[in-house]
Amino acid sequence: MENPVQTDRNPVGISTKNRIRGIGQYGIFIAFILICLVLSVVTPKFLTVSNLTIVVTQVSINALLAFGVTFVIITGGIDLSIGSTVAVTSVVAASFAHPDTYPVVVPILAGLAAGLLLGAFNGLVITKSKVPPFIVTLGTMTIGRGLALILSKGRPVSNLSDSFNFIGGGHLLGIPTPILILIVFFIICSVVLKKTVLGRYMYAVGGNEQAAQASGIQLNKVKMVVYTLCGGLAALAGILLTSRITTGQPNAGVGFELDAIAAAIIGGTSTSGGTGTMTGTLIGALLIGVISNGLDLMNVTSYYQQVVMGIIIIGAVVLDSLNQNKN
Amino acid sequence: MRRIYFISLFIPVLFSGCNQSSSGEKTGETGDKKLTVGVTMLSMQNEFIVNVSDEIEKKAQESGVELITVDAERSALKQIEQVESFIAQKVDVIIMNPCEVEASSPAVTKALAANIPIINVNSETTAKPSAFIGSDDVESARIAMKFIAEKLGGKGNVVMMHGYMGQAAQIKREQGAREILKQYPNLKLIAHQTGEWDRAKAMSLMENWIQSYGTTINAVFAQNDEMGMGAVKALTDAGLKDKVIVVSIDAIPDALQAVKKGTLDATVFQNAEQQGAKAIETAIKIAKGEAYEKETLIPFQLVTKQNLAKFMK
Repeated sequence: MENPVQTDRNPVGISTKNRIRGIGQYGIFIAFILICLVLSVVTPKFLTVSNLTIVVTQVSINALLAFGVTFVIITGGIDLSIGSTVAVTSVVAASFAHPDTYPVVVPILAGLAAGLLLGAFNGLVITKSKVPPFIVTLGTMTIGRGLALILSKGRPVSNLSDSFNFIGGGHLLGIPTPILILIVFFIICSVVLKKTVLGRYMYAVGGNEQAAQASGIQLNKVKMVVYTLCGGLAALAGILLTSRITTGQPNAGVGFELDAIAAAIIGGTSTSGGTGTMTGTLIGALLIGVISNGLDLMNVTSYYQQVVMGIIIIGAVVLDSLNQNKN
Repeated sequence: MRRIYFISLFIPVLFSGCNQSSSGEKTGETGDKKLTVGVTMLSMQNEFIVNVSDEIEKKAQESGVELITVDAERSALKQIEQVESFIAQKVDVIIMNPCEVEASSPAVTKALAANIPIINVNSETTAKPSAFIGSDDVESARIAMKFIAEKLGGKGNVVMMHGYMGQAAQIKREQGAREILKQYPNLKLIAHQTGEWDRAKAMSLMENWIQSYGTTINAVFAQNDEMGMGAVKALTDAGLKDKVIVVSIDAIPDALQAVKKGTLDATVFQNAEQQGAKAIETAIKIAKGEAYEKETLIPFQLVTKQNLAKFMK
């Protein structure tokens, strides 16, 4: 299966793309720093250790979702079902997390399994049917929402064990656990994308599907893995959310897919596929979190928050397309 | 199970909606003067609404009334179509749990034009129905805010979490809260923001408020229990729960548990059973030509640790 000649050729193509991406990434990084500076000046409550800790904790869920969706978008796909996956995972994990029933690994594994299955289902239908991912995952989004309501009978699943609630609400070495989980998975996802054959295949598939296929990459296998990974990361986000609010919520995660996609796009992932980095996505997620936190601190109504967020998303995409035109 | 039941009830409605002659036959069959009542509910995904509907069903069975219950799935358009098909089936009375104040109004007008009495349960429409049974959302917020005012001795800083902005419940609960705030000039509303009825969103919002106002916050009023629970979690994590009063509305099971534990200071109970029972009672009275109340308001009740036992099931 492996063809050393072709795998050698791919990285060359990517490195030029990475260079272009570099400019966009700096742009968003500079924008992020600027917004942080402005917020620090406007509200003295912003630039404190305790506030920044809270921002990163709040960002962790969206960032995990965004990492998954970044993989998918890089291959030229999209996943709209992750918000519903969060809800299914939340309900499944919570059902196994009541005190004095199962050890804490059981709800984690059950939740992960649910997410991976939904992701694999997406991958399977997309690769077998050739129906556009937008439509397939739109369907899964509705199926997932229904499943979550069926499994929970439309009611929140509460009374969870302390050990489960530690996952999203605890501290290790004084650092909130969601931040540690975020760091670990940021590193893992970055390594997968940059340092592995799989990662290179993702860029290749998204950059030019025909060329990738011609060079011997098995498109279906790559897509299958990518959607499953995305489901798994969504499951992780769902477990984190459930643990943080200490209940399984069938209504959780409505609209989360849009925040995650926004983070990836703000971070420079191109919706046409083939480009994007985890660092960019992380900054995108942080940017969204910082703005929402900052506007809350200033007691700006949510109406304006939505307008500001929309402007930033459009701005990021315009920046991205300008960069591509330059090339 | 319940869903299947409603779907099976919905199928004949669909058919008779498309084919008027078959609905004529159906009324012909009920020659033994058994009353038929058409019921359209806002959403069967909502625990409270399901409770109202269950009670209507229970009471209807006891009085031998035939019920046709359908789920409008939060769509006013669908609700109007459902009422149209009730009219086509010539039901004796319609009970509607309106989806929207304005958009569900045509359903009322159409039923009355067809000489079929229509009862609104739980929420209102601009068009006046034959009878209304429900509770006044403004009152629920008055009760909640009054509890805060009394606990704080009429003095302190309050933050308020809104539901989805612009929804009837959000508007009325804000109105009620502000009425009470006006009566206590030393009770200051230092911040208010939407938590979109959602626990996770409310938790993040509360965390941000703690950063920005810290220990100056004396009380939180959340417009529903889900958000109240989110606020409680954030305050507990920050070690501030003992210093801040949290009150919310709805008395969902989780909230009652929290009141029992003492983490939530109070919630406000809306009586689903009584709303359902009164609705079907009124429907029967109207159908039989007996005297009935044009408007029945079921009072809200404050739930605290003291009277909690009454509300736990």
